[in-house]
Amino acid sequence: MVVELTINGNAYELEAPVGRTLAEVLRLDLGLTGTKIACGEGHCGACTVQLDGVPVLSCITLVHTVGDREVTTIEGLREHPLVEAFVEADATQCGFCTPGQIVTASALLAANASPSDDEIRHAMAGNLCRCGTYPKIERAIHTVAGDGGGS
Amino acid sequence: MELLRPDSAEAAAAALGNGSVALAGGTELVPLLRDGIVRAEKLVELRDVVPRGVDGTRIGAGTTLAELEVDPDIPQALREACSLAASPQLRSMSTLGGNLLQATRCWYWRLNFPCYLHGGDTCHAKAGQHREHAIFGNERCASAHPSDPAAALLALGARLRTTSREFSLVDLYRLPTDEERNVTALEPGEVILELDVPRPEASVYLKAMERRKWSFAIVGVAAARFADSIRLGLAGVAPIPWALSSVADLEQATPLLGTAYKVQIARALVRRAVEAVSAPAGA
Ligand SMILES: Cc1cc2nc3c(=O)[nH]c(=O)nc-3n(C[C@H](O)[C@H](O)[C@H](O)COP(=O)(O)OP(=O)(O)OC[C@H]3O[C@@H](n4cnc5c(N)ncnc54)[C@H](O)[C@@H]3O)c2cc1C
Ligand code: SF4
Ligand code: FES
Ligand code: FES
Repeated sequence: MVVELTINGNAYELEAPVGRTLAEVLRLDLGLTGTKIACGEGHCGACTVQLDGVPVLSCITLVHTVGDREVTTIEGLREHPLVEAFVEADATQCGFCTPGQIVTASALLAANASPSDDEIRHAMAGNLCRCGTYPKIERAIHTVAGDGGGS
Repeated sequence: MELLRPDSAEAAAAALGNGSVALAGGTELVPLLRDGIVRAEKLVELRDVVPRGVDGTRIGAGTTLAELEVDPDIPQALREACSLAASPQLRSMSTLGGNLLQATRCWYWRLNFPCYLHGGDTCHAKAGQHREHAIFGNERCASAHPSDPAAALLALGARLRTTSREFSLVDLYRLPTDEERNVTALEPGEVILELDVPRPEASVYLKAMERRKWSFAIVGVAAARFADSIRLGLAGVAPIPWALSSVADLEQATPLLGTAYKVQIARALVRRAVEAVSAPAGA
């Protein structure tokens, strides 16, 4: 079955079976390997991408259900100030969760330019970090909020 | 596997059964398909045909938990239950209809052990690991129903409208029996369209979890007050969402060795929930 996607502003058309997930298409068919698959069943947030700006889990999203919603992956957020802020705050250790963290955090900042600690914890709760970088992730988000980012 | 995109809810209902399974947000169904626990020849996409949004006391079954957790017009218990369920990404994907129909998180069931709920004759959890399991209705299957919204909707006395009938949410659920291992009473060709959720004078949802966010309920308690009566709905305590009429009902609990602690948690939460929705003295 043919699927048409818009990913980070680029149009793609490919053939994919009905059971194929968006994460598999991104990584295996399109080589957009910034999106990670860790648990593969909705628990960890490593595979987070945005559909029309809303963070969702690509590992349990069937690619044929994306429809005309725009996909944003970590590759589309290269220039986002969060990337630098994560590095500055030392908010990545093994780095496996980091793409998902940044995809979720950028949606948070787009909706709420200066979130409180509680708002950050509520919005980021679905992105687990087994290295435990949470306080640094919070700091990175605050840094960007502080210098007016998130636009 | 094929994907069908029907152009009405009626067409979707007509397409169901015989190896065709309804797909809403997919958060429950996609992992179960991949693990071979649910088998489907065709998926019937509901997203464009099931009502979505809130209109007075009516809530479309296609409304997401993320939409409900910020909706000021729905009862507080339902708003809180949605806000405390799953994770932000899951809430953005999960529909209310799919949430009511989610299967147990019992790991024996999810790992496809041939247990009672899968049609076998023993409950592996009872003899094995069952800390997360039931304290009521656990004679055959001891699983604990994970839905937070269902507990709230039970306390609120919600009714369902489907493509073929209208009935009370209580009647959507039944304990599994030797004849029928399923815990929901939805017909194969039936699509949930919307819920009618009465407005209480006060309502609340309290959830005990292993950590403060992003966790299934150990016990969830919803309370809703209508005039002088308070109704209670519980998550995480029985194979189906469980109604209680008072804290005294907890004396009827039949905990397993590993779930006795849940009775104490439930007692504390029920007391607090009832207190929270009770009319202030003298008012
Ligand atoms: C990791 C994880 C953690 C979770 N934590 C929680 C939690 O803490 N609390 C909680 O309450 N829930 C929790 N959930 C459950 C989650 O909220 C449900 O998976 C979700 O609500 C299901 O909705 P969906 O739209 O994705 O349904 P789908 O996965 O699309 O469908 C689920 C089932 O319902 C059927 N279906 C869906 N809509 C209809 C309809 N309108 N009519 C007829 N049949 C229909 C489908 O055929 C399928 O059998 C969790 C889920 C996951 C994966
Ligand atoms: S609790 Fe229910 S689902 Fe779990 S092993 Fe026992 S019978 Fe199976
Ligand atoms: S890989 Fe998708 S949630 Fe873990
Ligand atoms: S940095 Fe290792 S999982 Fe988050």
